[in-house]
Amino acid sequence: MKRAMIVGLGVVLLGFLGVSFSYGANTIKVGFVDTYSGPASIYTFDVVDAFKMAIQGINAKGGVLGKKIEYTTRDEKFNPATGLAMAKELVMKEEVDILAGTINSATTLAVSDFAKKEKIPFLCTFAKSEKITGEMGHRYVFGVAENTRMIGKAAAFGIAKKPYTKFWMAGEDYEYGHAVNDAAWRYIKAMKPTAQLLGQTWWKVGEADIAPYVAPILQAKPDCLLMGTGGSGNANFLKLAKAMDIGKQLAVVLHTSIELSNLQALGKDAPEGVWGTVNYLYYYPETPENKTFVEEFRKMYNRPPKVGALYGYAAAQLIAKAYQKAGKVDKEKFITAMEGLTVDSPVGKLEMRKCDHQLMLPMFFGVTKASPQYDYLIADNIMTIAGKDYLPTCEEIMKVRK
Amino acid sequence: MDFISAFCSPGVFCQILLGLSRTVILFIVASGLSLILGVLRIPNIAHGSLYMIGAFMAYTVSRVFGGGITGYWMAIVLAPLGVALVSFIIERGIFSRLYEREHIMLFLLTFSFSLVFGDLVKMVWGAEYRSVSMPGFFQGSIPIFGLPFPIYNFFLLLMGPVVAIVLWLIVNKTKMGKISRAAAVDREMVGAVGINVSLVFCIVFVIGCFLAGLGGALVAPIVNVVLGMDHTLIMEAFLIVIIGGLGNIWGALLGSLIFGLTQSLGILIWPQFGIVFPYAAVVVVLSFKPTGLLKSTW
Repeated sequence: MKRAMIVGLGVVLLGFLGVSFSYGANTIKVGFVDTYSGPASIYTFDVVDAFKMAIQGINAKGGVLGKKIEYTTRDEKFNPATGLAMAKELVMKEEVDILAGTINSATTLAVSDFAKKEKIPFLCTFAKSEKITGEMGHRYVFGVAENTRMIGKAAAFGIAKKPYTKFWMAGEDYEYGHAVNDAAWRYIKAMKPTAQLLGQTWWKVGEADIAPYVAPILQAKPDCLLMGTGGSGNANFLKLAKAMDIGKQLAVVLHTSIELSNLQALGKDAPEGVWGTVNYLYYYPETPENKTFVEEFRKMYNRPPKVGALYGYAAAQLIAKAYQKAGKVDKEKFITAMEGLTVDSPVGKLEMRKCDHQLMLPMFFGVTKASPQYDYLIADNIMTIAGKDYLPTCEEIMKVRK
Repeated sequence: MDFISAFCSPGVFCQILLGLSRTVILFIVASGLSLILGVLRIPNIAHGSLYMIGAFMAYTVSRVFGGGITGYWMAIVLAPLGVALVSFIIERGIFSRLYEREHIMLFLLTFSFSLVFGDLVKMVWGAEYRSVSMPGFFQGSIPIFGLPFPIYNFFLLLMGPVVAIVLWLIVNKTKMGKISRAAAVDREMVGAVGINVSLVFCIVFVIGCFLAGLGGALVAPIVNVVLGMDHTLIMEAFLIVIIGGLGNIWGALLGSLIFGLTQSLGILIWPQFGIVFPYAAVVVVLSFKPTGLLKSTW
């Protein structure tokens, strides 16, 4: 009886070993922790869908180092504590080689800290906190998406050239809103010393009727309004901007105002004449790379890709190419290979900057405009801002990291 | 003198109007909450969820009717009725059996309902943002002393008094209203004189929830209809009901006015911290009148 138990236990143990061996031998595992339920999920599915599409292409060509890339997802329900527990579970139990995901900045910072302690590479594919690759950055974390500092600097880059001097900042009273506007204002002031800030207005996240907040801004008559809203707050503002025709009275800059998630949801209710920045537009630039990407994505998912798709696709390309360069599945070698790595993407070549592990994405600056071709508004008058022009400099990053 | 002339400026006038239009939505939702709280003694946390469901139903109805002007009016009428139907089912199915329970128990129950409704909305409508199109003649704004004032907010300003008067008529001029007022004071006595209290409670509950749905349908064209829109509102609605006096509909009106106007005028005084004013007003009211401004039915 006892012997039978020992044998049985041995078989079970061998079974476990066999399983982990098979992982070790044939696949590279990527574990996504992200918000797949609730409002934020309208962004995150594009990330993982494009990632899936990209690794299918890579695996079809024989994978990397003879191994296939696999991925698994966990829904952290926008909860940092849950997200951290899931990241631990993915590393301890699933034995993933790489962690990825997270749209929630608090989750990202928690997972990033865990990745640092466990020495696991972690690719942040959406969260916008500038701390991720800024003051809290370290060897094991990589920023694949833009962050608030970059958003602010891109807005400043686009707007400082225009003849505006009187500014007002407004938005939702949470970290993202403040961080975006503070960064924008800091860089505008640096690029244009004559600029002055007339005032600022903040409302609660999820505020239903923001007209009482916005009306006094119009009375103050600034030249340019810097907006710091995100998610569903964008649409609340855009609807009011349409009703009050704000775009005609002053210039408005709102990150992602030209992005598909906002404009498609609003349809013809979106206002014309709102400036905005975004990393990806499926109809611009009209390059063969972008067209192929959009076609492939449409064929697979029957919808045009949104900005998250670029992040997911870039993450997959980075992982594959870094392992190729590293020559073996080794975490430290992977990190070293990632630094300074360049990959192809629908928006051209992207470099993973060595000094802060931030992907140098281009930013598109444009203005909303109705188009007879689409039943929603699109971006017009588009200017491409290269990564080197709006990423904070390496010196800036090193200064905040101290 | 400067101060007085500044206070009579068109900007302030506009701001008062905007504050009043915000008051309307708050009043419509809070009066329903207060009605249920006063008569049935249920602190209905799920009231916010019904507001959200009203907005989502408005989206669906306006879509079904082609999104134009017909779609909008049908949404305003049918969405609250849909919410009323949902509330009728849960009242008959669950609440009607639990009226004698303690408040804390009912509190937890309605809280669990708010979670269930949140997930149900996600299952039915998904997590995407939805937008109800503004019907043609409500689009844009008209200038008041040179400042743009959204036309839809004018419409809201009209809706407020209409709802208030209809509510007043129901509560004061109908037999049902009189019974419900009596039941709010002493429900056992009302039962003892042979009146079907359970039926009255059901009707009051459904009317209260109808108002939540109406609030949701009215707000739908100016916001993004989205999961989580219930959370912010239910907090404000409870505060309004508390400062106005629990269960008193006119208290809900007064509370909404205080909330809406301190907010809109506060923004004018100090835009950076405009959020604080309505909550500061709540603190002031509760420090001087902890039971609320008007007579509570509790």
